[in-house]
Parts: sequence; C-alpha cells; structure tokens
Amino acid sequence: MRTGYSLNKINDWDEKAAIHILSRTLFGYTRQDIDFALSMSLDEFVDNHLLANKPEPIPPFWVYDPSSDNSTERTRELTYWWYDQMIRQGYSFREKMVLFWHNHFVSEVDKVALPQRMYWQNKLFRDNVFGNIRELTKKISIDPAMLIYLDGNKNRKGAPNENYGRELMELFTMGIGNYTETDIREAARALTGWRVDGVTSYFDEERFDDGLKTILGETGNFGYEDVVDIIFRQEVTAKYFCRELYKEFIYITPDENFVNELAGALRQNNYELKPVLSLLLKSSYFHSEEIRGSKIKNPVEFVVQVMRQFNITTPDYNYMRQVVEGLEQKLFDPPNVSGWDGDKRWINTTTLPARNIFTDSVIRGEKPGGSELTFKVKLVDYARTYPSSESAESFISDVAKIFIQFPLSDTRKTYLLNTLLDGAAVYDWSTFNQLAENRLELFFKALSRLPEYQLS
Amino acid sequence: MDRRKFIRQLGFLTGAGTVSMTLGNIPVKAFARPFINAKAPDGTVLVLVQLSGGNDGLNTVIPFADANYHNVRPGIRIRENEVLKLSNSVGLHPSLSPFKDLYDEGQLAVVQNVGYPNPDRSHFRSTDIWLSASDSDNYVEDGWVGRFLANAFPDPETYNSNHPMAIQIGASQSMLLQCTCQGQMGISFEDPNQFYQLINGATADNDPPPNTIAGEQLRFIKQIAAQSIQYAQIIKDAADSVQNRVQYPNSSLGRQLAIVAELIGGGLETPVYLTSVGGFDTHSGQLGSHANLLQNLANSVSAFMQDLKLLGAADRVVVMTFSEFGRRVEQNGSGGTDHGTAAPLFVIGQNVAGGILGKNPDLEDLDTNGDLKYEFDFRQVYASLLQDQLGMSADKMGDVLFRNFETLPLISVKHASAGGPISFSLRQNYPNPFNPATTINYQLRIPQFIRLVVFDPTGAEVVTIDKGWKDDGS
Repeated sequence: MRTGYSLNKINDWDEKAAIHILSRTLFGYTRQDIDFALSMSLDEFVDNHLLANKPEPIPPFWVYDPSSDNSTERTRELTYWWYDQMIRQGYSFREKMVLFWHNHFVSEVDKVALPQRMYWQNKLFRDNVFGNIRELTKKISIDPAMLIYLDGNKNRKGAPNENYGRELMELFTMGIGNYTETDIREAARALTGWRVDGVTSYFDEERFDDGLKTILGETGNFGYEDVVDIIFRQEVTAKYFCRELYKEFIYITPDENFVNELAGALRQNNYELKPVLSLLLKSSYFHSEEIRGSKIKNPVEFVVQVMRQFNITTPDYNYMRQVVEGLEQKLFDPPNVSGWDGDKRWINTTTLPARNIFTDSVIRGEKPGGSELTFKVKLVDYARTYPSSESAESFISDVAKIFIQFPLSDTRKTYLLNTLLDGAAVYDWSTFNQLAENRLELFFKALSRLPEYQLS
Repeated sequence: MDRRKFIRQLGFLTGAGTVSMTLGNIPVKAFARPFINAKAPDGTVLVLVQLSGGNDGLNTVIPFADANYHNVRPGIRIRENEVLKLSNSVGLHPSLSPFKDLYDEGQLAVVQNVGYPNPDRSHFRSTDIWLSASDSDNYVEDGWVGRFLANAFPDPETYNSNHPMAIQIGASQSMLLQCTCQGQMGISFEDPNQFYQLINGATADNDPPPNTIAGEQLRFIKQIAAQSIQYAQIIKDAADSVQNRVQYPNSSLGRQLAIVAELIGGGLETPVYLTSVGGFDTHSGQLGSHANLLQNLANSVSAFMQDLKLLGAADRVVVMTFSEFGRRVEQNGSGGTDHGTAAPLFVIGQNVAGGILGKNPDLEDLDTNGDLKYEFDFRQVYASLLQDQLGMSADKMGDVLFRNFETLPLISVKHASAGGPISFSLRQNYPNPFNPATTINYQLRIPQFIRLVVFDPTGAEVVTIDKGWKDDGS
C-alpha cells in the first residue's frame, strides 16, 4: 500500500481535493461547481450531493412498447437521452456509476435487438446505482436484455446454456480461476426457467431444473438467487468488484492492498455500495497526490465534459454521438461481453487527433467540414464568467483548474500565456480588446490540445 | 539500387517521364507510366478554394447584356457600366478586378453553369455532393480527392511519404480528403508553427513528465501525439525555409493562401491543398457583403499567384474555386438571394487555358423550380484537373469519380501523362519494339539543360543518347 494512505478520511477539504473529486465523479465541472463543493463540508458534499438519491428521469416515450421498431434510430435516441442525463447530472455521481455498471454487466444492443430492453437495463443500473451489489446481481441475472444477450432465455431444464453462468462468474463477480467448470454447469442449471416476453422477463416453472445442484461447495435445489448468494459468500467476490471500482475511479492498475481494504469495507457493509463509495471518495488514498491526473478520460466522459466545461446546455447530441463513436465508444454497444478495455486503449494516432479536432470544433463553433454547430460558445462571455478574466496570468491558472487535472509545468503555463497574449504584453490583456475573441480561441484550442487534457 | 530508389533517381534525373522500349528481344524495361507528378520540386499542385454558403454566380460572372438579369434583380444587379467586361455580353463583378487582370493575361478560366443533375439546395447535402463527387441521390462518405490519392496517385512508390498527401488549412478535417478505403489521406492545421508547437512544442516537451503514475500516462499520450503529427516537422521546415514575397489581405483566406504559398515554395511535395472561406450565404442585403466577399477572394488569390511567381512555383500550381451551389435567379424580398443551383467557377494558373468555357447562363430556360440549368457537370472539372494537372491516368477515373466524365480544355500545359509536359515531355518511341533503330521524340516548353538516358530494368545506365542545352521546341 502507498504508505500513509488508506480509507481514512482526509484532513483538508480544499480546492485541490474538490477538483479531484469533481473530475472523477462528474462529466466535467465548472468554477461554480468548485465553489459549491467548498461551501460545505466534505461529508455534506459527498453524502448529500454526490451519493444522494435523485428523482428518476422521464424515459423516452417508446420504451414501453416492444413493437416500436427502427432500432438503429431508437438506439440513437436512447443515446441522446443518456447524454442528456449526463449533461444535466447536477452534483450527482449517479450517471458515471451507471456507465460503470453498463461496462460491468455488459449487453450489446445488436444481440438484445430491442433498444427498449437496453433502456430497462439502463434503468435497472440507475435504480440500483449505489445500492446493494448482491441484489443488483440478482436483478441483472433475470434482466430481459441480459437474458437475451447471454442466452439465459434459452437455458432450460435438460438443455442448459452455460453462457450466462460462465460470464456471471468470470466477468461479473469473481474472476477467472475462482471456480471450476463443474461450478459453471451446476450454476447454469440453477439459472434455468427464465424467459423474455417483449420488455419483461418471467419465470417458466416447466423449464426450471429443480434437481439438486452443487455450486462452489454448497448443495441444494438452488435457483438464480441462491447462485448469487453463494457467489457473494466467496471472499474473492468483494475483491473483484473493488478491483473494478479501483480501475475505473482510481487508476488502471489495481493496488491489491488497498483493494483488500476496500473489499473489507464492502463485506462489512453487506455489499451496500453507498457507504463504501462514501468512504472511498473521502479517503486519503483517493486524494493522494499521485492519483491526481492519472486516469485517461473515456470518450463519453471526454465529449460530455467539454460541453459542461463551456456551460453548453443544448448541445448537438447527434454530433456528440458521431464523435464518441469515432473515438471508439458506442453506448449500448460495447465491443464484447468484457466491455471496453479503457485507459491507454482509448488513445491512438487516430483517436488522439480526433479528440483535438473535436475540441477545436466546439471552440470554433464549426464542425469538421465547415458546417456550423447548433451552439457556439462566445468565448469572451465565457471568459468573463471567471472573476480573473481581465488578468491574463490568474485567468490561465483559473481556467486550468477546470480543464486540466494534471499539474501543469511552468513551461506549459508560459506556453499558454504566450498563446493567449499572441504577442501582446501581459498588462495589455483584456477581454474588451478587439482581438480578445480570436486570442481566446487560440488559447482554448491550445489548452484542450495539451496531452494533459486527456487525463483526469 | 532498389526499384523505389531507381524510380526516384529517374524522377530526379529527368524531372519528367520515362518510356518503355524493347530493343530487339531484350526489354529495356523502363516505366510505362510517367511519374513526374508530386516529385518535388517540379510536382504539380492543385489548390482548392471552397466558398462556403453558396456563391451567387449571377453577380459574380454577370450576363450584363441580358435584360432579364436586370429585370429580376432590380435591387442587387450590377450595372453594365460597373461590370468588368470579358466579352460583349458577360463580365466580372467590379470587386474582381485582380481576376480581370489574370483573365487578360490568359491565366484565368471561367467555367460557366457548373452543376449536377437533380440539384440539392441544402448546404450540407450539396456540400457533401461536391466534396464526394457523388450523384445527388447517392450517399458517399468520402471525398474525391481522398479517393484519388488512395487509388490513383501516380506511382505511389515514387511518392515521398515524409510529405503529407494533402493538406487542409483549418481546424477541421474535411471529408474531401478522406477515403473510406484508407482513412484520412490528408492532415489539417491552421498554421504550421502553431501545428508544430501544439504537439511537438519545443518549449513544451523540454520538460519530461514527472516520474509518477500520472506522469507515465502523460508520457504515453505525448508519444502518440508525436507519432500522429509525424509531418509537423517537415511542414514547419518548409514554411520556415521561405518567406512570402507579397502582402496578402489580412483575412482568413489571405492567411491560408499565404501558408500554402510558403509550403509549396518551401519544397513540400504535397499535391493537394484545401482552403476555405465562408459567408457566401447571402440571403439579405447582399450588395455590400457580396462585394466584400469577392474582393477578399480576388485579392487573396491574386496575391497568392503573384507570390508563387516570385517563389518560382507559379507554373506548377492551379487554383480552383468551388461553392456548393449558386443562388436563385431572382432576388428575394430582403435584398438577397436564396439557395439556387448551377453557377460559374474559376480555374486559375499560369498553365491554365484562359478564357470563358460555356455559354452565358440562360435566364429563360430554367428548371421546374425556376433555377438555372447546368451546362457542365462539376465532375467534368474535377476530371480535367485530375488528369491534366495531377496526372491521373484516364483509366482511374471510374475509381475516383464513379464513372467517366468528358474532360474540359482547362489546362494548356498538361501533365506529361495527359499528353503534355510541365517543362518537357517525352514521347513514346517509334517503332517499338525496334531493331535496329527507333525514334524518340521529346518536346521542351522552355529552353533547358537535358539529358536523355536509357536504363535497363535494374536501373543501370545503358546509354546516354543526348545531353546538353536545348532550345524550346520538339
């Protein structure tokens, strides 16, 4: 374990801590968000805002109707709907956790066939987002989208299908090496009997194998809930989830000692996630200097945060979707059952320039190809939302607090200052200068093209 | 010597072309396809100027002798006495006087009534049609330049891959330079030095990332950034090696063309550049705004041509303007014009066959929407420039433009592969195969030093046939 860092709460709730917590839990934040967080205690901010229960968003109208066709267009609408939840997330950690669950309990819309089912799965994640992981695992096991995606609906007495049983253990709860092939077969028998009708699932007793099963050393006439309970009695299970949380919200390479500490807390809380996330987000480990700026932003996070950083509340969702897909992340359609690999895999010689071109386009208000975006940030007005807007050096430092979590070197700061001034003297800087808009454009493009901007 | 080097050297030695011949039964295998193009310093270049928004063709090249013109545009017409006359019936907008000069020098061609069947009046759709060279009912996701570079670039083995195949000056990357087969064929940037600094940044990368896990992530991203801008250095070097010789208008287009001139003059071997200027969507009060737009266009392009001349590159470069559509024949209720169809475009350069191609727009024989009918398909212009300027062989036209189009006589000094040289051409020997004698014809456009050599397929020199200073002629 990194010496001195643990789940113990940090002492100093300061700007640095606020920036780190905002950047890891939200899809972008603003100067006002930092002030808001610091206007209260760390406990209040984490427990009453980040982890608070929020009202459920109103779904697209067609999600109840399984006969509503045109799945490509519906999937896009659902994607836009989810972007909208992200953009309007407020101070809630919820949407980032929903994305975490989407990438954990993976389903792909192509196989699931109905985007309606993807909505209900998404709602399941949202309803249980900080809830009990064991109960969520039970619910996902009979979720219509999941039943179709991993063939649970074909799994029946006398003709078991092991697809879900295997992934449940290998990818969703324990990790490879912690079960046998027999455990998978027996678990598959216990998971039989579930079928899908439209957007709902139901239990068909005829198809259920009601014989004795032996799973991970326990024997009984088990059903799907028993399988999940048995799995959650294994010590590896809490560790597996905590490792996944670590990789997503701390750093890509897990620190096993800290994972163990976190897993201990998860078991102590009977797999209730909220108290564990509360501990985590306040911990000296999470806030240690070394963790800051060490995470590569995923495409959805990258694209949505740009909107939120510039206070764009009515973005072009179709354009966002095209960009995110170009950056190799298609919501509701992860590449395979293990989800997106993340981190370094997001960055290559195609996607990195594409990220730069995207930020350029937003700042310029013009799509690649020259057509205008439906929104345009007036940079002078935006700059004036910073109290320091008329002082070049403080302005740069304040903007960097929103855009860049990686500590900027002095040469970087000089480079940004020179870009903003564009040959003028520092005391000449003013947003009321005729060329201010152009200079701000150059500056914001340069800022968001910094490799540091890819890190959170 | 490997084939690649051999070809390069040949290219360097001849600067023009090669022919295959067979001496008796022995093939003196050279290269049937000439490859002079894109082999700097004498590679040919096409510079595209995109006029976004739909340029009003009728007020650009004005049919001043047509009473209809004056009748349908009472508030925005250009009066006959203001028109810069090119003939007794048609002339240029008064803001285009630099174009009039180029026209008088035989370096500017007006192609009248350029359009396509079933015209689309949406900016985005029609822009896509122009960029992709598709039919109006066919959705294509890549650009004609991208497909040309990917499929039909003359002898890719001779192309120096250290140089980008296409450059767009601007923050975006146009579909024009994309090919679905190979992805992005070009790169885009707004300014060579800024481009260089943004990622390579001498100041920026002098400090290594800190030795932390976050620092390790940053090092990785910087590495990818460096790879992805492999061209930044050579572009900066080219731009730094020469200076613009003339003053450009202080406009976006002026600055873009100034950069292109430096890159061409500085030895960058890139054959296609895309520049763009917006604002042509003149729905209201267009008289003043359109005049400014055209003035900026003409002054910028004319500065560019002048600069190229002083940089010694004018005979390699052709400029083509294009816009997604022209505008309605009649003015609208707010002193402007709405989206229309066919319009004239300009092709400019020292080797351009100057003049007016096509008829005056017919303001009486309109389509069912009351818009101008097209006379030339825009892809005929592309086909002509691809073949005669960029050296695309005719058999590649189907790959690039989806089918064959009749070319137009736009380029006077044609690319060697299209039957004309840049500075000289080498003709196929006759008879071929031969024994014991054959005739090799060559043609010089300007007096120059030549050396005519026969190589065997390994690249070894067989015989030097001729060498020395020659006057122009055959």
